[in-house]
Amino acid sequence: MVKVTVDGIVVDVPNGSSALQACEAAGKEIPRFCFHERLSVAGNCRMCLVQVVRAPKPVASCGFPVAEGMEILTDTEIVRKARRAVMEFLLINHPLDCPICDQGGECDLQDQAFGYGADHSRYQEAKRAVKDKYLGPLVKTVMTRCIQCTRCIRFATEIAGVPELGAVSRGENMEVTNYVEKALTSELSGNLIDICPVGALTSKPYAFTARPWELKRTDSIDVSDAVGTNISLQVRGSAVLRAVPRVNDAVNEEWLADKGRFSVDGLKHRRLDRPWVRVHGKLQAVSWQDAFVAIGRRLDGVPGDRIGAIAGDLCDAESMLALKDLMVALGSPNIDCRQDGADYDLSQRAYYTFGTTIAGIEDADALLVVGSIPRQEAPVLNARIRKRFLAAGRGGFPIGLIGTPTADPTYSADVLGEGPDVLAALRDGTHPFAATLKAAKKPMIIVGHGALTRPDARAILASAWALAVETGAIGAGWNGFNVLHRAASRVAGLDLGLVPGKGGRSAAGMMSGGVDVLWLLGADEFHTAQIGPKTFVIYQGHHGDAAAARADVILPGAAYAEKSGTYVNTEGRVQRSFRAVMPPGDAREDWRILRAFSEVVGHTLPYDTVEVLRERLATVNPVFRVIGGLDAVDAAALPGPSDGGAVLPAPFRPVFDDYYQTDPICRASPTMGECSRIYVHPRTVAAE
Amino acid sequence: MANLGTRIYTRFKGRLVGKDADGRCYYEARTANRTGGGLTRHERWVIYHKGEDASVVPPEWWGWLHHVDEAPLPESARQPWQIPYPGNRTGTVDAYHPPGSDYRGGRRAASTSDYEAWVPEG
Repeated sequence: MVKVTVDGIVVDVPNGSSALQACEAAGKEIPRFCFHERLSVAGNCRMCLVQVVRAPKPVASCGFPVAEGMEILTDTEIVRKARRAVMEFLLINHPLDCPICDQGGECDLQDQAFGYGADHSRYQEAKRAVKDKYLGPLVKTVMTRCIQCTRCIRFATEIAGVPELGAVSRGENMEVTNYVEKALTSELSGNLIDICPVGALTSKPYAFTARPWELKRTDSIDVSDAVGTNISLQVRGSAVLRAVPRVNDAVNEEWLADKGRFSVDGLKHRRLDRPWVRVHGKLQAVSWQDAFVAIGRRLDGVPGDRIGAIAGDLCDAESMLALKDLMVALGSPNIDCRQDGADYDLSQRAYYTFGTTIAGIEDADALLVVGSIPRQEAPVLNARIRKRFLAAGRGGFPIGLIGTPTADPTYSADVLGEGPDVLAALRDGTHPFAATLKAAKKPMIIVGHGALTRPDARAILASAWALAVETGAIGAGWNGFNVLHRAASRVAGLDLGLVPGKGGRSAAGMMSGGVDVLWLLGADEFHTAQIGPKTFVIYQGHHGDAAAARADVILPGAAYAEKSGTYVNTEGRVQRSFRAVMPPGDAREDWRILRAFSEVVGHTLPYDTVEVLRERLATVNPVFRVIGGLDAVDAAALPGPSDGGAVLPAPFRPVFDDYYQTDPICRASPTMGECSRIYVHPRTVAAE
Repeated sequence: MANLGTRIYTRFKGRLVGKDADGRCYYEARTANRTGGGLTRHERWVIYHKGEDASVVPPEWWGWLHHVDEAPLPESARQPWQIPYPGNRTGTVDAYHPPGSDYRGGRRAASTSDYEAWVPEG
C-alpha cells in the first residue's frame, strides 16, 4: 500500500494504482472521457489533469502511477484552467447539435462542459466533419461528434474480442473506423453505445425515440440467456423503449448481450392480448371466463395421467411453481421444463449449475468446454472468459473446446475434437490436453447443452464430473464443474422439480400422443408437428408464435417486462425483476392465470398474493430465500452424478444456429430479424 | 330573451350602454347599487338572444361587463385579420374534435406505446 495525500486527505491505495484511483479513494471526482475502469488506460483525452506537488506541469491522473508520499491537488486554479483549456479544445471540433443528438441528457461531454466549458467560443475557423461509418444494424454512428477517446476501439479489442475498430490518421484528422465497411461481428456490440461518452455511437433502433429524462427505469433481469444479466428497462407510457445493463460485478460487470438489449422491440409485436378458443377448427376471441370453461369442459373426465404441462424458456419461477401445483392438484405426474430434451442429474444442485460462478472464472487457470459455444449461448459470460484469458497472459489460461465451433470464440482455444470420445481420451490421459488440465491448479470444465440435449447426456455429465475429479477441478475450496444453461427459466425449473414425476412422461413423451391435454407455459422451442393431432393444446404465453397457432385454447400471459418475477441464472443465483409496464389488453400475469383457472376446476391453489406464492417458493426449495447471493457448495464431498450408460460417438451439435432467433420475443422483434438477415444469413441477402 | 323579471328590472333600473355587433344589449344600473372589487359601483348586465349561453359575449364587451374596463372596446379596434367570435362551440355540430376522437372515426396517430396484437392466420 502507498500513502497518498489528495487535497489534504491521506488515503492508502494499492501499489501500482493510478493517481485517478487515489483521487476516487479520497472521494474526489475527476472528470474523464477516455478512462474507463474496465478498459486499458489510453490517456489521450487529457480531461483528468491534476496537479502533483513538485511536478512541473499538470499530469493526466488516469495514467500516472502513485508514489509514496505523493501530494495530489485536484482543485487548484492551475487544474481548473488546464481542464477548461482541454474542454475548449474538445469543443472546437464537436458539433453544437445537442438538441438533435440522442446522447443529450446522458452525455459525459454535456455534463463536463457544464463544469469546465466556457460561455462562448473563441474559435472562428471551420469545424471538422467526418463521414459516418457503417457498424451494422445496431450501432448508429455520427462520427463528427467523436472526441477520439478510443474507448470503442479498446472495448472491441479487449472485451468483445473482435479487433474490427481502429483509428486512421493522426491529430485532428484522426478517425475511428472499421477499415472495411461491414457490420461489427460481436454479440456485445450494443455496449459500444453505453461506453461512448458522447453521441458518436448511439442505438440505431432507439434513434430519436425518447429523451433520458422522459424514461421511467425499472430493475429487471434479462431472460434472453441464462446468465441473468441485470438490466434496467426504460419505459415511456406503456412501451419498453430500451434495456440497458446495470452494474453487477458478480454477474455481468456492466455488459449486456445484444439479444437482451435489442430484442425489447419484440415486446410490441405479435402480442397475445385476449383469450382465444378453437371452435370448429377456427380460433375465436373469447372472454377469460369462456376460455376457462372451455378448458374445464375438456378436462372433465380426463384422468390425471393423460394431462401434461411443459414450461418454456422464459418463464419466471412463480408461474412455473403455480403450473406444477396445478398439475399435482389435477393428479398429473407429467410435467417438464426441458422442452429441448436435455437431461440432468437432479440429486444435487452442483450437477446442473455453474459451480465456479461467473466471477470465479477469473481465478481459473485452465478451461475445457464440452459441447458449448459460450460466445453465442452466453456472450457476457464469454467476455469474462476472455477477460481471464487476457489477464493470464500468453499460455496462462489454456482453453480446450470439444465440439464444432461455429464462430471465433474470441480467445485462442484448441479444438480437441468433435465428439464425446475426446472426453474418454482426456480421462485415460492419452490426449495431450489431459496433462494441461492436470498441471493446472484450478481447472474448470464447462458442459453445455450441445452435450446435455443428447440421449447420452447422463453419461457425458458423469464422465465430465469424473474428469473434473481426476484433474483436480473439483477439490477443496475449488469447484471447477460447470453446466452452462441457455434458457433463463431452466435452473429455476429444475430447482422446483419441474421434471416428470413417478411414471410421468417427459416433454417428448407428452408431445408424441402421451397425453390428451397439453398445457404449454410459453413453450415454443419445438416443431408443433411433434404434437399429436388429437392432443388438446392450451398455450399460455405472451407471443403468438408457432405453438399459439397450433393451440386449441390461448391464454394471454405477461412477458418478462410485464411481471415481477424470480429467475435463477446458470450459477444458481436467484434474482428478482420488477414490473416495468402492464401486460397488453386482457393479458395477465401467468401465476394469476393459473390461480384463477385452478378455482374453475375446483382445485384452488393456496395463494392469493405474490408474497404468499414466494413464501411457497422458499418452502419448496430454500434456495429461493436468498435473493442475489450464492451459497458455496463443497463439490468434493459429492458422489458425482449417476452414470447413464453408454456414450454415443456422434459429434456435439451447436445448440442453435441463429443467435438472434432463439425465443418468441426475439422472433417477434424486427431488430433481431434484421440482425439475423445481416449476420446469420448474409448470403441470401447478397443473392437477391 | 330575458325573462319577465329581468325585463321589468331593466326597464326601471337599467340604462342602455350599447349593443355589440350581434345586437345584444348591455345595461348599467342608473345608481351605484352593488359592491364589488372593494367599492360600490354600477351593476352591469347583458340581455342575450334566445337560447344563448354566457360564452357568447364578444371580447369587446367582456372586459366592460366584468368591470375590468370602464368602457367597451370600440368596434374600430377590430383588426381585419380577426375572425368573428363564435362563442363556445362545445355540444354543437361545429364542436372541435381532436384527431383520434370517436367523432372523427376514432383513428388516432400512431404512438410508441402501440403494440401489434397477434391474430390467427386464416
